[in-house]
Amino acid sequence: MHGTDGIDADEGVVAEGLVKRFGDFTALDGVDFHVAPGTVVGLLGPNGAGKTTTIRILTTLLRPDGGRARVAGFDVVRDARVVRACIGLTGQFAAVDDDLTGRENLVLVGRLGRLPKAAAAARAERLLDTFQLRDAADRALRTYSGGMRRRLDLAASLMVAPAVLFLDEPTTGLDPRSRLDLWDVIGELRASGTTIVLTTQYLEEADRLADRISVIDGGRIIAEGTADDLKARVGGSVVAVTLADRHDAAGAAAALAATFGLPVGDVSTDPDLGVVSVPVPEGGEALVAAVRALDTARITPADLVLRRPSLDDVFLALTGHHAADRRPEQPAPVRARTMA
Amino acid sequence: MTTVNPDLRRSAPAGLDLPQPLADPRRRAALPPARVLADIGLVTQRNLRKVLRNPRLIVFSTIQPFMQLLLFAFVFSSVATVGPGLGYKQFVVPAVLVQTMTFAAMGSGIGIANDLHMGMIDRFRSLPIARSAFLVGRTASDSLRLGIQACLLVAAALAIGFRFQTGVPAALGMLVVVVMFGIALSSFSAWIGLAVRDPETVQAAVFIPILPLVFTSSAFAPISRLPGWMQPVAKASPVTAAIDTARGLALGDDVLVRLSGVHLHTAAWHFALWWIAIVGISTALAVRRYRLG
Repeated sequence: MHGTDGIDADEGVVAEGLVKRFGDFTALDGVDFHVAPGTVVGLLGPNGAGKTTTIRILTTLLRPDGGRARVAGFDVVRDARVVRACIGLTGQFAAVDDDLTGRENLVLVGRLGRLPKAAAAARAERLLDTFQLRDAADRALRTYSGGMRRRLDLAASLMVAPAVLFLDEPTTGLDPRSRLDLWDVIGELRASGTTIVLTTQYLEEADRLADRISVIDGGRIIAEGTADDLKARVGGSVVAVTLADRHDAAGAAAALAATFGLPVGDVSTDPDLGVVSVPVPEGGEALVAAVRALDTARITPADLVLRRPSLDDVFLALTGHHAADRRPEQPAPVRARTMA
Repeated sequence: MTTVNPDLRRSAPAGLDLPQPLADPRRRAALPPARVLADIGLVTQRNLRKVLRNPRLIVFSTIQPFMQLLLFAFVFSSVATVGPGLGYKQFVVPAVLVQTMTFAAMGSGIGIANDLHMGMIDRFRSLPIARSAFLVGRTASDSLRLGIQACLLVAAALAIGFRFQTGVPAALGMLVVVVMFGIALSSFSAWIGLAVRDPETVQAAVFIPILPLVFTSSAFAPISRLPGWMQPVAKASPVTAAIDTARGLALGDDVLVRLSGVHLHTAAWHFALWWIAIVGISTALAVRRYRLG
């Protein structure tokens, strides 16, 4: 499909060198971000990393201070309104109206999205069925459960069948069953050719849904690739030891680092909780080696587990610090929005 | 996660029924005047639905001045006098109407702060609609809400013995002036709502500057009876300009001259200038806030 000016209108998302400052705080420090048409890309990062700011720029809610971005082939600043005609946005805080019914919310968004009255009504009926909200269609949203609200929010974003769909932490706060339902919907949207940008704090979610993942931290994209690429950077698994005496943390870290031939800096320690995590090769031998190392060092573990890498482990491997460490240094997204 | 409990899987929606993306985004992004009006209409309709489903605010801001009206009409009228030939009830009704608008206008800021808080403004701003639709739709629905409240209160005033002394066109003119005053305060309140973003804070931020303005005006006593230092403040006040204009229209120019020492046309000019200033500045500030996101 080609636009009137010959631009390929199906070109997904292309962002180059996006910069955004809020006062002295640099939220985005040169973000490059690409999403091929018809694919799902997960944008991962801790709170304050720049995820929400990036999404707000790509959805024309915020003007960048530097760099440029095109969504569905249109510039987010120069052709902001055309971009708005191509996108759907499901926000972190469900942007649906508590006082209106489910049906009224859908019809309102559809009509503001340029559907004629009858088409908007027909479309709303279909989506109410699709998202299993038929029984609740005429109830005010304030009576909906968290999962129902999120489904309706997503349905609202689909009223105009966007070419590019932005999902900002779509499953945060949902129960496991609602999360699985939403994952299925996102999978089907992808299969129908919708380009999807997904932010999440859950590696598992990105793992399941995204074709590629971009990791953002400190306002920059620090890694990009498939979920397997990222995990390979961390190593196969993680041994996490909860110590009987938390004062043993430093000793345990040193012993485990020596056993697995790692610099001590690669071992993550939480001295307050007495938890030490170390990246290890795939397989049960690592667990045995860890137990031996602790025994030799006369350190008693209260709990010892072998698990797959978490987002935090990926972060530690990529940045040398925990995802959570950054929170005190950086304003939370809420503050960034207030300053905007 | 590699394995999924099959019982959980079964509840997933089966087969999304979705048409292709709508073609020609450039055409859908175009904004001919008819579309701007349609957008404003949709936003207005949505706001009015919210008012109807949240009757608390409209009841609060109608019952409260009605009680005040009863107090003035049946308690104060026996001790308060404003001059020969004019009962306190007649004197105070236009003032109570204008004061009611200050309560009612708070709703605009609260509504906007709620929209910000809930993410509705982000939803509107991410749609290809006229940017003006959000603020103009807010003004349109607020004007209707204020108009209904003013009419309810006038009906109550007539029921307890208030009488227009000037005829139907002037009486309607008074209603228009009262609602116009409410619209000016609404635009101020809307800017406050966009700026402070918290529904609770909006109440205080709107009340703190406006309530003293109501008391230091010609609302409850003729300016000549106010303390000397207060008189210049009261004469310059936008609230005085609104109340004097409303009184002149309801009670006649001669009564207004006796009460305030100004003619109706002078009061009307003051009111018009204040209105333009308040609406102009508040709207400019609100639009700037809205654009910044």
